Amino acid sequence: MNKELEHSFVELLEKHQNIVHKVCRLYTNNYDAHNDLFQEITIQLWKAYPKFRGDAKFSTWMYRVGLNTAITLYRKSKRTISTQDFAGVEFKITAEAYDDTEEQQLKVLYKAVHQLNDIEKALIFLYLEDKDYSEISETMGISEVNARVKMNRIKNKLRTILNP
Amino acid sequence: MDELDILKKDWNKEKPEHKKLSTQDIYPMLQKKSSSIVKTLFYISIAELIFWILVNTIPYFTSDSYREQLDAIYTNEYVFTAINIITYGIIMLFIYLLFRAHKAISVTDNAKKLMESILKTRKVIKYYVIYNLVVAFISIITGIYFAIAHDPKLADTFTHLDRKQTLIVYSIFIAATAIFVFAIWLFYKLLYGFLLKRLNRNYKELKKLEV
Repeated sequence: MNKELEHSFVELLEKHQNIVHKVCRLYTNNYDAHNDLFQEITIQLWKAYPKFRGDAKFSTWMYRVGLNTAITLYRKSKRTISTQDFAGVEFKITAEAYDDTEEQQLKVLYKAVHQLNDIEKALIFLYLEDKDYSEISETMGISEVNARVKMNRIKNKLRTILNP
Repeated sequence: MDELDILKKDWNKEKPEHKKLSTQDIYPMLQKKSSSIVKTLFYISIAELIFWILVNTIPYFTSDSYREQLDAIYTNEYVFTAINIITYGIIMLFIYLLFRAHKAISVTDNAKKLMESILKTRKVIKYYVIYNLVVAFISIITGIYFAIAHDPKLADTFTHLDRKQTLIVYSIFIAATAIFVFAIWLFYKLLYGFLLKRLNRNYKELKKLEV
């Protein structure tokens, strides 16, 4: 029974792992931290999995556990004193390859998003995942109106970061 | 906003910096231990309970003079039993409250609710510590009072002190107790301040949205 549960969980996580990677990408900025957060989110998902009911979509359920872990539960472990900032690495390669304006813009955009605080990142994450305001409000525990107002403020904040 | 659209377009692309994990990569991850803040808080609260229970019981079982003193103070056995029952009852109550608070923490709640349940657990520990500090303070003061009142040698010394000396002795006692209590308070302030800094900041940020 337990093996079956484990098997179904691992299959689902493997299929939807990009969601977790995207959370990690937003909240960390190096390889080790990324892997460490991925590990912690996996543990939290696994611990909560027996209570997961099919009535919610697995991916929706993952958003919640993933963001909660990143914002609230995760403590940087000592292992993650590292090394390379991968936003830099990634964009160095791409920028050299095609010194394209859109690539340049993306580089600046990711940097700007990284400067946001944890809550703002969560809202931007849900926005990028195409979640509507009712789902954003449910995930964060704020009202829909407040989610909308905050999102506009974040967009403005990004604009100021981009065009100082 | 155009810029965010650019970001959105790029968002779902797989990035080279994280390799796609296979199921074989994921299995061992399930066996690893969590390093979450809830787990740390849980260990701290257990340590807290044990520490204060030991502080309260060890002197009674290891020191004969302390036991004698206590017996001298509580000449009435019923009073002693009653105080014991109340003390352990309060500890049991705290254990129950802590257990309930920990049970209520669920990673599948919304972000705000999750933060609130964690902060609630921390509050239970806080009240437990405050309770113990108050009890410690009262015990020290009454202990000193009874020691002076019941010990003929000490009482004798005290009657020979003049007003100024008595005042100095009392001031030292009170200052020492206050420093002791303050040191423990500072320790907790630092411990929880450090541990919950990020959580408090994020919780404030969420609360700010509600205004």
